[in-house]
Amino acid sequence: MTHPLPRHRILLAAALVLAGAFAIAAHAVPVRTEHVEAELIAERTAASPGKPATVGLRLHMDEHWHTYWKNPGDSGLPTKIQWRLPEGWTAGPIAWPHPEGQRVGPMLNYGYSDEAILLSELTPPADARPGPVTITANASWLVCKDICIPEKATLTLAFAVAEGDPPPDGAQAALFAKARAKLPATLTGWTAESAIAGNRLTLRYMPPAGTLAPASVAFFPYRENFIDHPAPQVLTRDGGGFRLEMQLVEPVAQDVKDLAGVLVAGSAWPGAANRRSVEITGPVVAALAPVQAPIAPAGNEAGSSLALALVFALAGGLLLNLMPCVFPVLGIKVMGFVRHAHGDARALWMQGAVFSAGVLVSFLALAGLLLALRAGGTELGWGFQLQSPAFVTLLAALFFLMALNLFGVFEWGGFAQSMTSNVSAKGRYADAFLAGVLATLVATPCTAPFMGAAVGFTLAQPASISLAVFAMLGVGMAVPVLALSFFPAALRKLPKPGPWMETFKQVMAFPLFATVIWLAWVLGAQVGNDAVLSLLGGLLVLAIGAWIYGRWARSESLARFVFAALFAAAGLWLAWPGPTAAPNEARAANAKSGEIAWQPWSPERLAELRAAGTPVFVDFTAAWCVTCQVNKRVALNREEVVRALADRGVVPLKADWTNHDPRITAALAQLGRNALPVYALYAPGQAQPKLLPEVLTASLVVEELSKLPAARTAANDTIR
Amino acid sequence: MKRAFPHPQPVSRGRGERITAAFTTVAFTLTAAFAASAFAAAVVGQPAPAFTATDLSGKPVSLADYKGKTVVLEWHNFGCPFVQKHYRSGNMQALQKKYGGEVVWLTVNSTNAGHQDYMAPAALTKALADFGAAPTRFVMDEPGTVGLAYGAKVTPHMYVIDPSGKVAYNGAIDDKRSTDVADVKTARNHVAAALDEMKAGKPVSNASNAPYGCTIKYR
Repeated sequence: MTHPLPRHRILLAAALVLAGAFAIAAHAVPVRTEHVEAELIAERTAASPGKPATVGLRLHMDEHWHTYWKNPGDSGLPTKIQWRLPEGWTAGPIAWPHPEGQRVGPMLNYGYSDEAILLSELTPPADARPGPVTITANASWLVCKDICIPEKATLTLAFAVAEGDPPPDGAQAALFAKARAKLPATLTGWTAESAIAGNRLTLRYMPPAGTLAPASVAFFPYRENFIDHPAPQVLTRDGGGFRLEMQLVEPVAQDVKDLAGVLVAGSAWPGAANRRSVEITGPVVAALAPVQAPIAPAGNEAGSSLALALVFALAGGLLLNLMPCVFPVLGIKVMGFVRHAHGDARALWMQGAVFSAGVLVSFLALAGLLLALRAGGTELGWGFQLQSPAFVTLLAALFFLMALNLFGVFEWGGFAQSMTSNVSAKGRYADAFLAGVLATLVATPCTAPFMGAAVGFTLAQPASISLAVFAMLGVGMAVPVLALSFFPAALRKLPKPGPWMETFKQVMAFPLFATVIWLAWVLGAQVGNDAVLSLLGGLLVLAIGAWIYGRWARSESLARFVFAALFAAAGLWLAWPGPTAAPNEARAANAKSGEIAWQPWSPERLAELRAAGTPVFVDFTAAWCVTCQVNKRVALNREEVVRALADRGVVPLKADWTNHDPRITAALAQLGRNALPVYALYAPGQAQPKLLPEVLTASLVVEELSKLPAARTAANDTIR
Repeated sequence: MKRAFPHPQPVSRGRGERITAAFTTVAFTLTAAFAASAFAAAVVGQPAPAFTATDLSGKPVSLADYKGKTVVLEWHNFGCPFVQKHYRSGNMQALQKKYGGEVVWLTVNSTNAGHQDYMAPAALTKALADFGAAPTRFVMDEPGTVGLAYGAKVTPHMYVIDPSGKVAYNGAIDDKRSTDVADVKTARNHVAAALDEMKAGKPVSNASNAPYGCTIKYR
């Protein structure tokens, strides 16, 4: 008679072994030494035959205790791992995370505090049989505070060999992501070379064209007893890259052919996929090239070619004519042409030329002013004049008066009589010139597509190149009008003059009123609600002045001019804005449902989010930027965009340039831009943001957002 | 095997202590910045920095006393596991005895008096006797002056000064960077090699390398 118990026991034992193999697969019990908790971790639940599997030695040090990097610096000892692997397995070297400097008295050590994860690749033989295996590591390390203790531990990992592609171990994914983020990246296109003079070593590290090196770096050499570890490393900018000058240990080693080590940046390294460090190797040469002048970043699209910048400037200028800022002025201009279409051809093209001259001169004057102010150290951007509430007020008053004029409230006397039927040629030229000036002034805040990059490029260049690019913008803007004036045949297609013209003239007043409304809103954003009240009150008083001037137009009395002037002055006095308060802080804060919940932008906030691996969408905007406002309404505040932002976990930041903000000016310069709008999408792991076009559509934004990885799960969030 | 060296003091987490710690860190960093410039080095081929200190019995010791002789300097701290490796194995004592007849062996201790590794001369005298150590003199460098003048970084950090007073060797005791006693047997002893080469009238083949050990507990 067979006893049932042994069979049960065998079954039970088999079940336990099987269950155990799965339950503890790729897991190990941490070993606690005096100051360190150590364990082996595996990225996947099993290894495939012949394929390397990544495992890590995780050392968690007690507070204030640290272990060492491969070059421990002035003292210490790198951690060692001796693998005891199943038959036929091989182990690769330790992939060292970048170290941190640890100052001990006059010395400097290189190592890790808190936690270090040392990754290695273990490869089973190609003919490995599936089944559980045990990985053993005899790890030894020196752990120091102000005293040092050598510690060791024998760590085991219940691992397995499995056919196919074993799944990643979800529980360890965060640890491995964290470990990899600290591994130095290898960059292509960057060049390292160094030179030794006396006991000084200079390392020159240059990025490929168009990339910028990080703002702060520290070099950790692989070679020991070579650089004087605690001596300060002196960083200087060299073009887009940098030089790092270090002191060498004496006697200076004579056999140094190459310099290898790790450069660690203060924050994410540009182009290094969210990593802070890069591994470099470069020859030691007799002498380094002379230092280039530090360059401002070139625009992404325009590159740094002058010819390309000029072409973009021309195209941008052409398109400016279609921008909402220019439109009201363009209307008046076209009306002037209609009026004179059937006149003298020579007078016509002269007028076109004078208008063009007005545009060109204003562009050059603006560029000159901008350059002069920049030379004086003021942080400015294109469209800067609309950052001045006084300028906005004046422009609003001017447009308001022009609208009243178009309505026939009054007629211009004196020089600017081109709006009436009997004007002298001289008056018409003055008017054409002023129209050119005005068109330029109002055009600046509307950056047409292509123009942003051209302007950004130009401001980093010598004055002559800047002026050439600005002149080209002016040419672009003036060309359509000039062409029309040269080819009256095209103008003849326009309707003949008649009573309809009075109607057209009055209709043209409405876009001007719309512009005044916009300017009032800009002013409100700049200096608050009270300023809008003053402006509107001032405009009312100004309107009274204009009405007096128009109502008694036939009067020879001086009183007409006196009263008109008095009201005009009073109106301007009333409208004049007070000093700029800081009313903008709260504006971005609360979003209505269905609108993007913008958070205020700051360089710190952006850096913080990027360091955490969060995708960020930055809207560089301003109340006075019409394109920005149009985009906001038609493309950004759309349900699908709001949803796409949420789906991808994108944090929207609003950089509001309505008022002068040097940090935003600097951030735009970093992006190679100087004008609005700019939409920058920072994907996690990408050093440079993707710049979206100036004119947006909702589908374009959604498409760009969909290229981002899906939002991280709450579990992954804990790796921060 | 039980460790023979002291445990660290438990760190109190008191608020006052943290503030003190913060201030100390700032002061320390500033001091370190200045100290770094005063942190000279004994460079191979150049004259060894002169010094005068006291030995265990309080008598003055000066490098000038040994003009015309080969001098070995050994930086020392019994609290350091790297130093223990070379004393537990008998390696350091053996070197002191083997070369003691022909060279002057000066063991220097630059540990500051406030550190837990600091040993008073009486305690040191006993510990050295227990280990059977035989240096010519044992130099108490509590202020760290000698260590800083030489740029001594770790214990043990070894220097050999030739009879003309120039530094002939600066670096590690051997090429097995570890605290493992068993490594002593298989290591190349750089100091012994240097002394042998000097005796044979040959240039020192490995005259400068990275010393390994514990950081010296300077004041």
